[in-house]
Amino acid sequence: MTITIRVNGAEQSVDAPEDTPLLWVLRDWMGLKGTKFGCGIGQCGACTVHIDGSAQRSCITPVARVAGGEVSVTTIEGLAGEDSLHPVQEAWLEHNVPQCGYCQSGQIMSAAALLDQEANPDDERISEFMAGNLCRCGTYPRIHAAIRSVADGSAS
Amino acid sequence: MSEISRRELFRLGAAGSGALVLGMVLPGCATAPGEREPTRVGAWAPNAWLEIDPDGGVAFTLDRVEMGQGTVTGITTLVAEELDVAPQNIEVVFAPVGDAYINPQYGLQVTGGSSSVRTSWERVREAGARVRAVLLASAAEVWQEPVASLTTGDGHVLHPDGTQRIAYKDLLALAARQSMPEQVTLRRPEDFRYIGKHNRRLDALAKVTGQARFGIDVELEGMRYAVVARPPAIGARLVAFDDSRARGLPGVIDVLAIERGVAVVAESYWQAMKARGELSIEWDESDAVKVTQNSVFRQYRQAADDSAGDTERSEGDAAGVLENADEVLEAEYEAPFLAHATMEPQNATAMVTDRGLEVWAPTQGPDLARIAAARTSGYSPGEIRVHTTFLGGGFGRRLTQEYVEEVAEIASHRKEPIKLVWSREDDIRHDVFRPAMLHRFRGALADGRVTAWDHQITGPLIFDWFARNAAAAQYPWAPRMFYNTLASVGRMTEDTFLTPKDHSAIEGAVDVPYAVPDLWVRHTHSDAGVPVSYWRSVGHSHNGFAVETFMDELAHRAGEDPVAFRLRHLEDSPRHRAVLERAAEAAGWGGSLPEGRARGVALHRSFGTFVAQVVEASIEDGAIRVHRVTCAADCGRMVNPDIVRMQMEGGILFGLTAALYGEVDWDENGRLQQSNFHDYTLMRHDETPELSIILVENGEDPQGVGEPGTPPAIPALGNALFALTGERQRRTPFQAGSADA
Ligand code: FES
Ligand code: FES
Repeated sequence: MTITIRVNGAEQSVDAPEDTPLLWVLRDWMGLKGTKFGCGIGQCGACTVHIDGSAQRSCITPVARVAGGEVSVTTIEGLAGEDSLHPVQEAWLEHNVPQCGYCQSGQIMSAAALLDQEANPDDERISEFMAGNLCRCGTYPRIHAAIRSVADGSAS
Repeated sequence: MSEISRRELFRLGAAGSGALVLGMVLPGCATAPGEREPTRVGAWAPNAWLEIDPDGGVAFTLDRVEMGQGTVTGITTLVAEELDVAPQNIEVVFAPVGDAYINPQYGLQVTGGSSSVRTSWERVREAGARVRAVLLASAAEVWQEPVASLTTGDGHVLHPDGTQRIAYKDLLALAARQSMPEQVTLRRPEDFRYIGKHNRRLDALAKVTGQARFGIDVELEGMRYAVVARPPAIGARLVAFDDSRARGLPGVIDVLAIERGVAVVAESYWQAMKARGELSIEWDESDAVKVTQNSVFRQYRQAADDSAGDTERSEGDAAGVLENADEVLEAEYEAPFLAHATMEPQNATAMVTDRGLEVWAPTQGPDLARIAAARTSGYSPGEIRVHTTFLGGGFGRRLTQEYVEEVAEIASHRKEPIKLVWSREDDIRHDVFRPAMLHRFRGALADGRVTAWDHQITGPLIFDWFARNAAAAQYPWAPRMFYNTLASVGRMTEDTFLTPKDHSAIEGAVDVPYAVPDLWVRHTHSDAGVPVSYWRSVGHSHNGFAVETFMDELAHRAGEDPVAFRLRHLEDSPRHRAVLERAAEAAGWGGSLPEGRARGVALHRSFGTFVAQVVEASIEDGAIRVHRVTCAADCGRMVNPDIVRMQMEGGILFGLTAALYGEVDWDENGRLQQSNFHDYTLMRHDETPELSIILVENGEDPQGVGEPGTPPAIPALGNALFALTGERQRRTPFQAGSADA
């Protein structure tokens, strides 16, 4: 059936079964491949997007939940500004975070949502919030330092 | 805030994207290191690796895949150094299958064994240096100046007068007429501009913007999605299936039996998965492998009792000395089967064209993928082109190519572009595992020294499983009907002049560094029928655990400090000593710790690199908690020190994950009990210890970095837990037990 969704600021219509997880609609219907499939059961965070600004796992979000154009979805493709990266992406480059990179869209979307909600989370809060995003390559220490640097930068 | 360069942003993304590559010239099938057809109009392609186009673009064909370990940055830095073009100005293209790209360490085009920098160190630098020499000679002709008076600087040849310069791109026509010099002088280390400097990763921007294209992101016009229902137990065979319900579901296009199961083709992955759930399939399980970890270890114990095994290293008379020793320590260790769990599940895409079959795959072995595709598609290797993408983790998993076999078979039947995706459940249940291994030790002690050492390793050889496609990949002209014969011949000739020895069971054990006069290391072969494969650090992953735990047990029995005890047995091993001393010192070894914490140490050399680690751990609320890991590593010269650091960090967390959680097991019906991250647990952000990495700098030849961080992490944690609780950890994953810390 035809579903209207608002992704990265633009309304689009897709013809997809309404129980299809948002993840697959983004990737396979809309060609937004930056959002990744890791587990399909909300365990790894690779598929994290922003739904009305909060970090959500798109693999367990039926597309019907964001249908109608009222709800706004942001993916990694829509995080950066017109000609500048998001501060979290900048921090990721600064700390040389990515290894294979597969988990990083989800990590960045989670981190950006956290920093949007709380300007200066402490270490424990960062760890707790980011615990839902797995990284098999072991980039956690750098992710932590990158988030720390953005938090500290905005606090000063 | 930096400007996003569109070119920079998309160049890496485009390299792996089918949609962008298709319709343009497909990467040439270069087979010789000599001159080849350029892939761009008017470009000059002087060798298999480099291509310079008239706009000044420099393309570098990278023949070792990028799976996170940093080849895009590291190997490009090597060619950049000698060509004298800044690494960030070089466009990286992933290599097609070609003889020039074979990994000299393996005779196959594989990325693994932490070999990429080691094997490219001279080869790729020479390729860059030759091209630079030709450009210099061309400029010398233009200016009528002696070549020796000219220099280069970021993509230009510089005139001795200090003002004139010519861009490389303006020398292409002249350069194409020159012949390549036989001999070239490589840049001296003291003149390095890029090697050894802290460089940002060249692939980082693509990876933080979601633009990097992994295998799972390949998109082709008219593409369909496939999933496969595979046997519920290892070795079960398809008898019959009823697809009537599945075929009636929306989006379903076809259901077909293939060699490895029943494939469902649909308009989307989601629809294919739903339809797969509606299949009813009858399997013949009469030959199915029904084992559990416990039954496998029972089998290994029996094998170890029955056969002393093949002697792999023998010095003096260990058995004799043990017989007569006053103080003998015996211990047995178990390392279980482990899944790889790369973050990107297995997948591949294929399409029949009028020239043959095109395959896109996140694979560690494009030539193996080509054989895998030939096996099931009816096309010969010469008609198959393999395009490699970014890999969402490798760790050895993508050296095995079943996903390519599957997609090639489906695509050749369907004659339409097919993307095959494994779910995470498929990925865990149908992995090819790190083999379970049993280790038995006997050690004799006298006056605080180990006087005899007997290490019996029991378990399978990985090559027995790997030969299937690897043997045929070395004879790509052989007809398909001989593939299995080639594999058998490969297995039978293992450790002869025909086939190299398989060290997978014994590496890290035969090279035990401790000076022990009477030493015996042996391997008893026992295979439980479970498919096995390479897993980050391979044999070192279990031998490191076993050897370093036993050494700790010996130190304890001798009443000695574990660091001092090891050092006493390393008189003639200065690089081992150095990393151990530096790690111990930086970790405050012997110093006080907060209540309820303890330290453990381990030292292990693998892939040429020496690594010592000190782990600080506690047990809190019945759970093991790792607080800090101090790691000293000596990998010789570093091409990109920060990537070495990243690999140590990642390697440590990979090892700790195995030590804390890693295990797969089957029920009595041969069903694997783990399926996804809720029951195959990986270490998470909030459990991550503080890591401090010390990189020993020296001018020795560069060695591997992708794997050596993993082996010592496991025993160092186990030894810390022993120090904490007095209970020895002899099997991974470790148990917090009832110990009251
Ligand atoms: S794919 Fe959504 S949480 Fe793993
Ligand atoms: S960077 Fe590879 S999984 Fe996180």
